[in-house]
This record gives sequence, structure tokens and C-alpha cells, in this order.
Amino acid sequence: MTSRHPFLRYGLRRVLTSLLLLVGVTLVTFVLTNLVPGDPVAAALGQRAAEDPAIVAQFRHQYGLDQTLVAQYFTYLGNLLHGDLGTSTTTHNSVASDLAQALPATLELAIGAIVLSVIIGVVLGTVAAYRRGKVTDQVLRVVSLTGLSVPTFWLALVLYYVFYFRLHIAPGSGRLSPDFRTPPTVTGLYTVDSLLAGQLDTFLDAVAHLFLPVLVLTLYTVGLLTRFVRTAVLEILDQDYVRAARAKGLPTRTVVWNYVLRGASIPVLTVVGLAFGSLLSGTVLVESIFAWPGLGSYAYQAASHLDLPGVMGVGLVIGVIYLLANLVIDLLYGFLDPRVRLA
Amino acid sequence: MFLPVLLCPVGVGTGIPAPVLGGSVVDRAVRYRRRTRVVIGPLAIALTLAAAGCSSGKVTSSDGAASDSLTIDKAFDLKTADPGRMYEPTGEMVDKALYETLLTFEGGDVSKVVPGVADLQQSDDAKTFTLTLNGSHKFSDGTPMTADDVVFSLQRVIGVKGNPSFLLAGVTVTKKDDKTVVLTTSTATPALPAILANPALGILNSKVVKAHGGTTGADDAAEKYLNTESAGSGPYVLDSLNLSSQVVLTANKNYDGDKPAYSRVTIQNVQGATQKINVQGGDADVALDLSGTQSEGLGSSVNVTSDPSANVIFLLLNQNPAVSAITSKPDFVKAVKESIDYADLVSLAGRGTSQAAGVVPSMFLGALGESDGLKQDLAAAKSDLAKSGYKGEKVTLSFPSDLTLNGIEFPTIAQRIQSQLKATGITVELAPAPVATELDAYRNGKEQIGLWYWGPDYPDPSDYLAFTPGNVVGLRAGWPKGADPTIDGLADAAAAGGSDSERQTQFEDLQKALNESGPFIPLLQPGNNIASKSSVTGVVYNAVWTIDIATLGSK
Repeated sequence: MTSRHPFLRYGLRRVLTSLLLLVGVTLVTFVLTNLVPGDPVAAALGQRAAEDPAIVAQFRHQYGLDQTLVAQYFTYLGNLLHGDLGTSTTTHNSVASDLAQALPATLELAIGAIVLSVIIGVVLGTVAAYRRGKVTDQVLRVVSLTGLSVPTFWLALVLYYVFYFRLHIAPGSGRLSPDFRTPPTVTGLYTVDSLLAGQLDTFLDAVAHLFLPVLVLTLYTVGLLTRFVRTAVLEILDQDYVRAARAKGLPTRTVVWNYVLRGASIPVLTVVGLAFGSLLSGTVLVESIFAWPGLGSYAYQAASHLDLPGVMGVGLVIGVIYLLANLVIDLLYGFLDPRVRLA
Repeated sequence: MFLPVLLCPVGVGTGIPAPVLGGSVVDRAVRYRRRTRVVIGPLAIALTLAAAGCSSGKVTSSDGAASDSLTIDKAFDLKTADPGRMYEPTGEMVDKALYETLLTFEGGDVSKVVPGVADLQQSDDAKTFTLTLNGSHKFSDGTPMTADDVVFSLQRVIGVKGNPSFLLAGVTVTKKDDKTVVLTTSTATPALPAILANPALGILNSKVVKAHGGTTGADDAAEKYLNTESAGSGPYVLDSLNLSSQVVLTANKNYDGDKPAYSRVTIQNVQGATQKINVQGGDADVALDLSGTQSEGLGSSVNVTSDPSANVIFLLLNQNPAVSAITSKPDFVKAVKESIDYADLVSLAGRGTSQAAGVVPSMFLGALGESDGLKQDLAAAKSDLAKSGYKGEKVTLSFPSDLTLNGIEFPTIAQRIQSQLKATGITVELAPAPVATELDAYRNGKEQIGLWYWGPDYPDPSDYLAFTPGNVVGLRAGWPKGADPTIDGLADAAAAGGSDSERQTQFEDLQKALNESGPFIPLLQPGNNIASKSSVTGVVYNAVWTIDIATLGSK
């Protein structure tokens, strides 16, 4: 069956590899979190509570820290198969429910930023390639390098000060204004949940709160994508089939869309996947400035409190995101380029 | 806000694709419209569905009108709102609003305990404390508070073995009658009245908590419920709690005290730099975590209250020769004390900060006066350093690299101390590490010199007996019981208790002796800067719960 469907066989192979990698992610995260020279009990309990052997013993028992490391790992894997990611020593909630709250907050930012970045980055990168060496190219080079080199936390503070405090065109920090209730949770994405609940004013407030953090993240990612798209488009422009298309007298728009960008899409897709993964896992500074209770903030909190279940949960989620992004991109490679799926 | 206005009365198309048009002339137009509809269709459907409902997500007047709602910015360290498990500054502030305690403090004065829901009678030996419920206190569901609720609440704190359990270590709780509870201890515990004012010892509605899994043992399962709803008699009830983003409180309709000025309070998790912009921009009414620098230049529409906090930043010099042969020498310790430019550190820390005269903070009973603090004397430092036999070897200064306390970054203080000691000829090597990992070395007494802080467990000077030989912080400095008989004697006398004036003298004498020959160097009480919009009144810093939300007013 699969021999007659090379794309299906290719897809199955990639899914199986991803599952194995996922087990590897749990092992590496577990080993690394336990290599940190520190005692989670000391980090979680107050200084007086940590002096009381009875409290310490109960804490160790409650969180399974009185077992051997090997037993802890296999217990973790066993629980994982049942969807149990453990209990956070910091929040005392199940890690799964903590992540279910934090992940949608970051997803909302990352999706907004990646969509905008791809649109702007592809346009700017293509324009820069077509105008290679001209003033437009130089200006775009400066713009993209600026986006890449300006520290995001500084940019976030400056934009917040200008747009919120000075110009009054952006709302304050957080996901919603204090005078709004959180919409009933369905997806955890406030924009979607507010629409599902029929709360248009909440939807508009949520969109307005997305504006600045998405802008900051977009500026960085656009810088990255513009450079990659430019390089990829330049390589394709030298290809014979593009020259042939031009020689046939096809309109520039057709050449760009049907020949150049399709050919350049594979290297660009790789970068988009990586950028999306890093947006999900690397927004801690932006989240901090905009008081955004997302995955980055949760990861920082878990790491600074040696909250091993929390750190493991974050590691696992980020691992899954990267694997999924890679899987989707690999499948898209196969879809876009038959040579990949036949290899 | 234009969308609802347009959509509600008029409605929007269904987003269903139009019938396919025939003929080559319109093919491109059709393709374009189809593509557009693929994108717009789902959005239009969603907006239409939303418009059909046209409900509002805004807080309604029944929740608290916008005019009497308050927004507080706080950098969260929140882990729970369950009083039996809570022991973090944000939790103290939240639980102070939700629960009443047997005894309490008035305003910012934590040196004097006053009645809360009970009046206190204390035996002369500070071993028996009789607490009688005063007035007719009711929980938020209207149930009257009884001695059974008090016994359950206090025994639960002891039994669940959470962070605040140590507060009642060695305390036996018994009911005398429906209104009276007796607490007994085997040793003198003069600090117990101050301990009872801690919101962690707030009184719970025992029937409600038991109905949701509450017990007085390790099998207690009421935390989840208490993070969803409160079960207290305080001026507010818990509306919602998200440990990472915000806590919403609404006024308790059954509260028998003065009605709070704000019927709805949102406490949101925001870092210092953003808090400054929020309070200036009007998004926040109160900002609680501004550093000295951030609290400058906020403009006339914002008031700033600056007070020294109850935290004390100190240096410890290890007295265990196995850890450090040089820091364990008394002359070396003296030389370090005389080398430090305390005024320079105060200036570095910024607004509201003061020098810590002793280990007991200035607002507590038993604190030393400003003039009793350590002073820089470089000539004496060089002389003492020579007597110590110091040969220029490196000494390691360990500190938490990621710790910022009231806006003061520990690496900044450590670097300044390094340069000040260099002026005397002491070579210091900085050893920063994240707090979670460095805590182990600190608590196990492995640091040569350590830079740390002590936040009060309860506002009574007996908490600071920890800094004496053989006690918690003493042992961290490699200073066992019997290492300094003079200080041992002063500590024993201070632990026995007495009248307030006797205790004041006992703790002053103890701290003067610690400054003279102890291995600790009290450095700073960092400033606590609270910024509030000028329309908010009654902002008073309290060392236990930061601010009492219920006493904030408006003008």
C-alpha cells in the first residue's frame, strides 16, 4: 500500500522518528534538570519550613523526590502515557493545567507574529532581491539588521512607553483590560473564546492588547526572514527555468508567484518553522514587559524555583512544538518537491 | 468599538459562497472573490455569531462599577491563596483582604499588636494565651464565627505541614467555650501575639472548608477550593485567581466592619519597569514594586510613599576555619566591618533605603537607633587587617545573582563591596550563582562570605534570635552554640521575654554585641516605594502584608 504511495510512506517514517525523538527529549530534559546543583526542597519551601524535617519529608514524598532518579523517570514516563505531567512544586497545580493556561497565551502572540512576519518578510525579501545592490536593497538591509540587533526587551519598553503612555493608542499591559472578565475558556485564545462567547468588546480589547507584543516580536522575525528570503530568491533568480519564464514574456507577477517564490519556499519554510518554534519558547522578555502570562514566563518561574515537573513540562511542550514544526515542514518539503519523498 | 455598533443592528453576510458565475469574462473576478471568501468567510461567521449574541465581557455594575474599582500592579510571587499554605508577600496581601485574624496591627505600626476578631489575655510567663472572640463576626456566607472555626483553622495550619506551619510549632490549640480558645506552649513564646496577626493564620469557615476536603492533617485537600473561592470573614471575597496573571477581589456583603471604598479590586502581575508606565498612564491605581530610581519623576498625578522595608541585607563571614581560615579570625571580621562605606551603599540603593543599624528592622520592637549602626573607619580597618595576619589571599563573596529585592540588584551591591574592600587591601573574588542553586551552599554553611537578606517571618524581634550562635543563620555562618558565651547569654535573656520596655533593652544589648563581635554585618534596609494615583488615599506600608487593600480610600 505504502509502496504505491511514497508520500504516505514518507509521512509515516517522519511521524515514527518524531515519536522516538520525543522520548529522547524527556530523557535529556530529565537528566539536565536533575544535574542542576540545587535542592528543589530548599527552593520551594520557606527558610523556616525547610528547617523542619517533617515538612521536608512530606514535601519529598508528595512530589516523589524520595524515590531514586531512575524510578522517578520511569514513574514520569508512565504518568505521561496517561497524560499526567505531574504537579508543579511552585503553583501546586497539575503541570498540564498550568501549561493549558500558559501555552494559548503564547500561541496567540506567536501566531500573530509569524503570520505578519511571513507576509512582510517575503515581500521585503523579494523586493530586496529584485533590487539587488540598489538603494532599496541597502535600506531594507539596514531595516532587517536593525530588527535583528535591537534588544527585544528594550524595544518592548520603548514601544510601550510611546504607544501606551505618550500616544494613548495602545492599551496597558496584560491580555485584557482590568474591567473585562476573562471569556469562558474553550481554546484559551482570548480572541477566539471571546468570539465564541459572543463578546465583541472583549474580542476587540484582546486584539488591541496583542498589538504591541506582536509588533515587537514581528520586528525581530521580519529582520530574520527578510535576509533569508532575499538570499533564497537571489539563488532562484539565476535558475534557467526562471530565465525561460521571463524570456517567454510572462508578467513579472506570474514569474514571482509561480516560479521564484515556489522555488524559494523550501529554505524559507525551514526558517519559518524554526522562527515559530523560537517565538513560542523565547518570548520570556516580551512577556515580562507586557505582563503576558505565557509559556516563557512559566518556564522562567519553573526554572528559578527548581520546579522539576514544571521544567519537564515546558521542555516537553517546546520539544513537541519543534518536532511538530519540523514534521509539518518536512511533509511540506515532500509535497512541494517530489525528489524529497522519493529519497 | 465601531464593530459592535455596525454589526448589532445591521448584521453581516453569512459568508456562504455566492453561486458560481458562468462565462470566461468574469472568471478571474470569481476566482478572486472565492479566494477572498475563503479567508473572510470564517471570520465573518465568527463575527456574525458574536454579533448575534452581542453580550458584553465588561464588568457590570453588580460586580462593582468602574468608578469604585481599583487596579494594583504587583510582581507576583504568588503560590496559593490558601491561608494554611500561603507564605509569600503577594499572598499575605491577598489573604489580609479575604480573612480576618485573631489579632492584628493597625496601619503600618507592627510594633504593637491590637485585637482582631479576638481579645487577648496573656500569662506572665508567656506560655498561655487566652483569646476570646469579640463582637459578632460572620463569614462571607453569613455563618457566625465560633471557637470551633478558630481551632480548626489553627490546627489545620499545623497539620498540613505547609510553609507557615512553623509559625505554630510547639503550640497547642484548645477550645474553652464557644467564644474562647486557649493556646499553650511549653516554653515562653512572647512572639506569639505578633505571629497571630499573620494572614496565614486567618480564620476559615470550618464547615465550608471541611465540605471541600479540608482536614487538620496532611490529607487536607481544600487548597484547590480555596484557590477558587474564599471562606473567610474579611472585607473581600475571592472572585477569581490566576497564579500567573491576576487576582480579582469583590466586596464581602456580610463583612461586619467598615465597608471598603473599592467594591472590586484587580491585582495584576506586572514587573517594576512596566508598573511605572502603568501608574503614570492611569492603567494602574497603585504600583507596589518600584525601585528607588523608578519611583523618581513620576509627575504630580502620582504620589509615592517611600519607607524602609522590613528586609535586611547583610554580609556573613564564616567562622568555621575549615571553610575559611581568614574570615574566621575576629580581627578580619572587624576589618571588613570598618572597611565598608555604608552611606555609599545607601546612596547606591536609592530612594527609601536606609542603613540597617542592626539585624532587627527599624520598625520592630527592639530595633537599634540609627546612630548605633556600624561605621566606616579605614585607618582602624587597615590596623585590624594587619593584626588578622591577612596576606592578600582571595576571599570568595557568594551571592544570588538573580535576586532583586525592592529594586536592588544583589550583583550591584556585591560589586560595590568588592571595590570598597579593595581600598583596604582585601581581595574579594565574586561568586554569583542563581538563588535556587546558591541557597544550598548558604543554608549548609559553606560560603566564606555571603551576601543575603532576611525577611521577617513575623514582626517580633525574637525572629532575629536566628542570628545568634547555634541558631538558623548563626549555623549558616559556621557559628555554633557556645562560640560566643556573652552573646549566648544575651540571646537567652532576650528569648525569655518580658515587658515591651524590657524586651527593647534586651534586643538592643544583643544587637550591639552582635555588631561588636558577631560574624554578621547588617548593611541595608531597602526602600519600599509605593506609587499611587493621587485619587487613591490611605496608602500605608505594612511590613507583613505590604498594604491593607480594605483601608485604601478615594477622593
